[in-house]
Amino acid sequence: MKVVGITTQQEVYVGSKDRNFRINEFLIIVDPYQGDLIGEVVEARTYNKYIPLNLSGELADSSVLQSLKAIGYNVEEDTIYLAKVRLLNEALYPVQAGSDVRVPDFHEVKDFMINCSADQGLILGVIKNTDQMADNMDQEYKDLLYTFEDGKLKEQKEIPYIFNIKSMNQYPHIGIFGGSGSGKSFGLRVMLEEMMNLNIPTIVLDPHFEMDFSEVVDYLSEDKRVDYTDKFKCLQVGVDVGVRFEDLSHQDLKNLLDASSPLTDAMSNVVDILFKRKDSYNSFYNRVKMLAEAQEEGSIDRINRRIEESTTDLERQGWLKRREIYLNYDKSCPYSSVRGILWRVNRLYNEGIFNNDIRKIEEGLSQGKLMVIQGSTRILQVFSTYLLNNLYHKRREYKDAQFNKNTVEYFPPFVVVTDEAHNFAPKGYECPSKSILKEISQEGRKYGVFLMLATQRPTLLDETITAQLNTKLIFRTVRGSDIATIKEETDITEEEARRLPYLKTGDVFISESARGRTIFARIRAANTASPHTENPFDELKGRIEEEDNKFFLMIKDKLPINGDDFINVIKEIEGETGRTYTIDSFEELLNNLVEKGYIIKEKTPFFNVYKEK
Amino acid sequence: MYKISEELKDKIMFVNRVLLDKYEEVLSMDRESLRSYINSQVGPILKIEKFTEEELKKYTKVGGIIGVDGSKNRIGGAYPHFIEVFQGLAKSTLHKEEPVYKVDFYTPLYTELEEPNLLEEDTERDEKISNKKLASIEVDAALEGIKKFDPYAVMMDGSLIRYKIVCSEKWQELKEECERRNIILVGVIKDIKTSIIRDSLKEDNYLKEECFYDRELLYGLLDYGEVIFTNIETKKEKRGFASLFMRSSQSPAVIGMDILKSQQSYLLEMARLVFTLTPQSSRGVPLWMDIIDSEVKIPDQMIKGFLESYLDRRIFEMLFISERDKRTM
Repeated sequence: MKVVGITTQQEVYVGSKDRNFRINEFLIIVDPYQGDLIGEVVEARTYNKYIPLNLSGELADSSVLQSLKAIGYNVEEDTIYLAKVRLLNEALYPVQAGSDVRVPDFHEVKDFMINCSADQGLILGVIKNTDQMADNMDQEYKDLLYTFEDGKLKEQKEIPYIFNIKSMNQYPHIGIFGGSGSGKSFGLRVMLEEMMNLNIPTIVLDPHFEMDFSEVVDYLSEDKRVDYTDKFKCLQVGVDVGVRFEDLSHQDLKNLLDASSPLTDAMSNVVDILFKRKDSYNSFYNRVKMLAEAQEEGSIDRINRRIEESTTDLERQGWLKRREIYLNYDKSCPYSSVRGILWRVNRLYNEGIFNNDIRKIEEGLSQGKLMVIQGSTRILQVFSTYLLNNLYHKRREYKDAQFNKNTVEYFPPFVVVTDEAHNFAPKGYECPSKSILKEISQEGRKYGVFLMLATQRPTLLDETITAQLNTKLIFRTVRGSDIATIKEETDITEEEARRLPYLKTGDVFISESARGRTIFARIRAANTASPHTENPFDELKGRIEEEDNKFFLMIKDKLPINGDDFINVIKEIEGETGRTYTIDSFEELLNNLVEKGYIIKEKTPFFNVYKEK
Repeated sequence: MYKISEELKDKIMFVNRVLLDKYEEVLSMDRESLRSYINSQVGPILKIEKFTEEELKKYTKVGGIIGVDGSKNRIGGAYPHFIEVFQGLAKSTLHKEEPVYKVDFYTPLYTELEEPNLLEEDTERDEKISNKKLASIEVDAALEGIKKFDPYAVMMDGSLIRYKIVCSEKWQELKEECERRNIILVGVIKDIKTSIIRDSLKEDNYLKEECFYDRELLYGLLDYGEVIFTNIETKKEKRGFASLFMRSSQSPAVIGMDILKSQQSYLLEMARLVFTLTPQSSRGVPLWMDIIDSEVKIPDQMIKGFLESYLDRRIFEMLFISERDKRTM
């Protein structure tokens, strides 16, 4: 291998007669004047001058090449291999043309590949095309993981990619981009497994109900399996966790209502006036409701008349109360806004958000667990606003108090993870969860609160937040606008951007500010499986077979069944199983079994006989 | 935009008209009757088959095939301020890593040859010497290749007659060597310049016009894989060669081959070999000859670089840089 052609300080071409190059491979250029220079292959080509691409028709067809080979001349051996190599560090002078090139040894590239020990970082996968350098790798980095290639489990041959989680302190926040089916959710799963391995307190907002780590995969051998049952907890909003109404501040409540559907200024004003600190849901709801009812009466005279006309004492008391509220608040709270608040509060209540509290989440975080918060996207938007505000400020208070030398209860640093992040922090319009995410993205580093945001549409993610993501994992992306965003937001090169639409599932470009360059990696095989992996069409097929089987077992001991005897058989079955059929539907089911080969049907002059096969 | 001169356009249209008039006779000739004429008077039109892979493998056992070609680079300006560099290459299909290269040069500024013949024009003499050197270097390469590789056959680029005319002494040596060692010597002619068929037609009064060559007559006449073994007594025959025409690819043009009269019995075999090694959709030249051709060629830039490095700068600038070389527009 030699440096050929015109060289610069940044890029050279390397040619070889017998060795093909791989993209992202590392090579050392032995420059006689500047010493060893490390570079990475960014483009690889082969060329054979005797087999040119000639569109005007002249083409050495394979039979001729074969014939030449038969008389002893193999044209294919005249192929030359060419690689464009970009130096990792700019050289002082252009590289000497004709310099020798060689494959580096692990220790020569270690600093470029690994910047943290295996037990302190997230072992996410392997760095692609590094197998040649991995031979004399330190034992510490060997046999850490498996990868999946073409549906088969493979042992680790390459240098592992280990994300140095400690570097987050300087370069906070991670973005995970990629279209559907690109391996994005799967990559997220692997990251979360690693977070659990390191016992890092983590909150996962899971709108897809897929971040369950209880199902251990069967492709790993027994001794390699990892059990995460004690390290994570799935909590459903409205069932396991919720918002304690009594703990809400004015702002919290407004955020919640706003997340439900946007508040007008007048509505926001109504909340300010009607909501009292320490209100329970009922006390607040009743106050709003009574005001609305009083306003529906229309005037103080009519309310007075309702008081006079009351038949029971309770009713009288109620209307007296309404009058009081009406006198206090009618002027400042317009009726339509009051109705709006009432409707929104009611909606949240029906969704169960006010059941329960976030105690469980706080406890889990303190124990260094991964807390998965599940719910529909909308509910999560509402709840996360409250939750993140709450937890972030707890952590902040603790840190601030530490700074001011006050004593406040300890609250740990934590990581917030979400899939479909563009729903929580959309570009272009306001949304309550966005303001807290934005705050964390800009200030979280100081307090040890970090974001890990996954999305298939980086273009739709708020730009301020995108700009704060210092590490980006970029999976296959096909949309032009998203590729443009990625190009803008990362140090990915033109050549790499061109490869984005063609990446294999699970292959990923990792752009780390901490390293200052992009690494091409493959995510490791996960230790756990997503609960949604069954193909719905397999599910359908299985379901139909199950139904058929069930029916077959029911009638099996009744065979043979005569066509004039259905009514008795049906009665028998009803007695045994409690299921009942009409004669028509029973016959239809029997014919279905015949068609599928469970039983056979024989025709007699009078009726059909269904028999065992 | 280029400005197109009206006159230029008219002149070209004129050329077109003249050529059309001249070739009307050929163009309007009936393909079938011409074919049957050739069949009976010039030589049989036969269809040949490609070799199978098994048949080809035989050649690896008997020494392989050598391909020979030469190249000429000319650096400098008009007479006598130029230098020509010749390179000849003989390459065996079996020993691809050890090609035989031969190099020579010529510049009118230094003649090692006999006294100039005063009757010849300078440029004419130049041309002659240049051709002789090129042909000699090819024959030299072939001779050394034969000694080194002991091949089954030698395939020369271009007609064998050319060597006989241009460098008869060397040619004699090569011919005798081949006949002695029983090595087949064959020439593959990309651009045929013969007029065998034309002459024959004229003799039989089929054609009136004078200047037709076989090239025009044979254009599109043969089908893919057809050859004409010329068996009429031609000038060539007298000089001890047998030859044929062949359409070796889909391209309508026809190539020629010639062989020593003493080895005539191998002509069909060699024709089949050439046909096998020619891509169907190519210009009709065997890929093997194309490979030799591209290896023997030296880029002008490289020659220039050599001269710049190894000639004294004074000499180089004074003698071989023409005004044209310095022009930048």
